[in-house]
Amino acid sequence: MIVPEVVPQLVVSLYPVAIWVGIITGLIGLLGISYQKNDLSVLILTDIVGVAMLIIVAGVATDLAEALILPGLVVELAEIMAISEILISREIRKSKRSRKDLAPTSLSFNMEILETAPVFIAVILIAYGIFLSGFTGGAVAGGGILFYVLSKSARGLPVELFDGLAGVSGIAWVFWIVGFLLFFVGPGFWLLGLMLSAFGLLIKVASKVGLIGMLTREEFKKE
Amino acid sequence: MLDVQIWFYTGCILVILGSIATVIGPGVKDPLVRTLNTEIPAVGVSLIFLTYNHTIALLTFIAATAVITLILLRAIVRLEEMGVDL
Repeated sequence: MIVPEVVPQLVVSLYPVAIWVGIITGLIGLLGISYQKNDLSVLILTDIVGVAMLIIVAGVATDLAEALILPGLVVELAEIMAISEILISREIRKSKRSRKDLAPTSLSFNMEILETAPVFIAVILIAYGIFLSGFTGGAVAGGGILFYVLSKSARGLPVELFDGLAGVSGIAWVFWIVGFLLFFVGPGFWLLGLMLSAFGLLIKVASKVGLIGMLTREEFKKE
Repeated sequence: MLDVQIWFYTGCILVILGSIATVIGPGVKDPLVRTLNTEIPAVGVSLIFLTYNHTIALLTFIAATAVITLILLRAIVRLEEMGVDL
């Protein structure tokens, strides 16, 4: 038997169903893409194909599957973000109106809650993200940063900050790799390696999700 | 005691029905309706993750789905504002 004895019987019985559901969903999504002429619809249907990929990976039902789902999600997110930006900038190029005319205008409501609530929620999300650490913590903290930036709709972000964020992300990546190496080079320092990896990944993922907010800010700056 | 398989098969049915609804469902000419329909397979996948105890994957998936919906809605709104024929 190819499947080891330690795998629960339940997982083995569900595996063919998971694979078939994944393949059927993928086919439905790809068929939909094949006869769509609208670019935006194709972009939305890409989401369905991503879902099919996740089901096939999840069917393995081990820690490895979980570890593979996380990068898959981030790649899907980055892909959709990049393609939507390309679609928007292509339409801006096509249209006859000027770029300034097409930039989104921010609404000005004079409400107290819009000033205080974003800070409060962002602080809670970032604190909880740091507590979680690792990949999930990075996603939660990044969500907090994104929420803050989007709700403030601030304009005029200095470019130095944007560059600095990329630098911090790079240094965090080095921490992650050093922590990973430490597992093999000095297994005695496993706790240090674990913490280095966890917080390196936290800063890396958080700064990546926060970049979506930065992108919007850059756009406002062009006004 | 609840049978674990119930969650798995409910998830599978939701994923297949939701993806059909996203491709040829009623009113999918409107990209907004299409984007909202993608939430149905997302709930299905969440149930499948729940069956397999993929806690971290489930949490990250929920966060990623929220951000993806945000990005898609932003793209739709921006394109509508430009008067693109969607």
